[in-house]
Amino acid sequence: MSINSSSLDALRLSAIKELANIGLGHATTAIAELTQKPFNMSVPRAEQIGLEQIPLLIGGREEQTVGIYMSVEGDITGHIAFMFPWNSAQKLWTMILGSAPETAEQVGELEASVMLEIGNIVNSSFLNAISDMTDFKLHATPPMVSIEMAAAILESIVLEAYSADHCALSIETRIVDEQGGAEGYFVYIPSEQGLHDFFERLGLGEAA
Amino acid sequence: MTPTQLLVGMADIQVVKGPGCFTCLGLGSCIGFCALDPVANVAGMVHVMLPEHFKDKPNDMPGKFADTGIAALVQALEKLGASRSKLVCAMAGGAQVFKFGANVANKLDIGARNALAVDEQVKKLGLKVIARDVGGHAGRTMMLDAATGEVKVRTVSQEEKLLCRLRA
Repeated sequence: MSINSSSLDALRLSAIKELANIGLGHATTAIAELTQKPFNMSVPRAEQIGLEQIPLLIGGREEQTVGIYMSVEGDITGHIAFMFPWNSAQKLWTMILGSAPETAEQVGELEASVMLEIGNIVNSSFLNAISDMTDFKLHATPPMVSIEMAAAILESIVLEAYSADHCALSIETRIVDEQGGAEGYFVYIPSEQGLHDFFERLGLGEAA
Repeated sequence: MTPTQLLVGMADIQVVKGPGCFTCLGLGSCIGFCALDPVANVAGMVHVMLPEHFKDKPNDMPGKFADTGIAALVQALEKLGASRSKLVCAMAGGAQVFKFGANVANKLDIGARNALAVDEQVKKLGLKVIARDVGGHAGRTMMLDAATGEVKVRTVSQEEKLLCRLRA
């Protein structure tokens, strides 16, 4: 699998990271309102990676993972996914519902809707941050959730992107409450044209 | 001696003469398709991702698409001495892993389309598929041990199970 030819330099990655920080700031407020609990979200790391490497971030291709996926429409098309390793997902459920399912089979509509809602909030905050910064109009389609092997989830997202040649921006995310934290990976897969337009608008476009 | 371990990644085609263990890890809507000629002792696996190649783009990865991948696997096996009429095949994958959400019903049906496209190729090439584990919501890992002909499948919630034997 080839990685996007236009590799991102430190400046562009820091723009993405800044964007994620702004977006997550909004999302934190929204989640705290939803749950009536104080939360904190941070972005320890943002990097550009090949799509095939994402399961390795989670801990392995067969690792049980909760994936929330949405496609993005508007001026910059693309795909957004939020991936949580199973034990992080359990922590998240405990933070919000007070308890967590022990196995994937125990995940019912309630647990799934928590993930759908988190996906909605975080993704729309992220997209709003992009819109505010660039004036591009973006919106996400309703989210879908899967509890599966990391590779199986990722593969299905790659297929939606309809190409294995896209590169992805992986934004490591920590969601913390008083009891501790959960790590997830926010994955943004913009179309190549979209990414190009985005940086162009920010004045970080490539010189010819 | 441990036999050769062959990891068949997205769009990969792997073939071997003699012993070898093939694995497609975490198949979602993709399909793992394996074939073995027990007489020539030649086996192979392909990990197809999409039903059809893009007509307007050069296809440098035939294994990526069902309409080119199955034929390319057969060709690679024939190069190692297999004959098409002796090939015994099995397939797994083609799931819809997104189970929850408002529009799961009308999105991401690529798994089902992949399975149909592979079936079409199987018919066209006159291949014999003795077992298929496709559809549903579960991601699958598929393994073939060329020495025994055993094809095994596992999911996150199910123990490894024997799908079939490609050797009598």
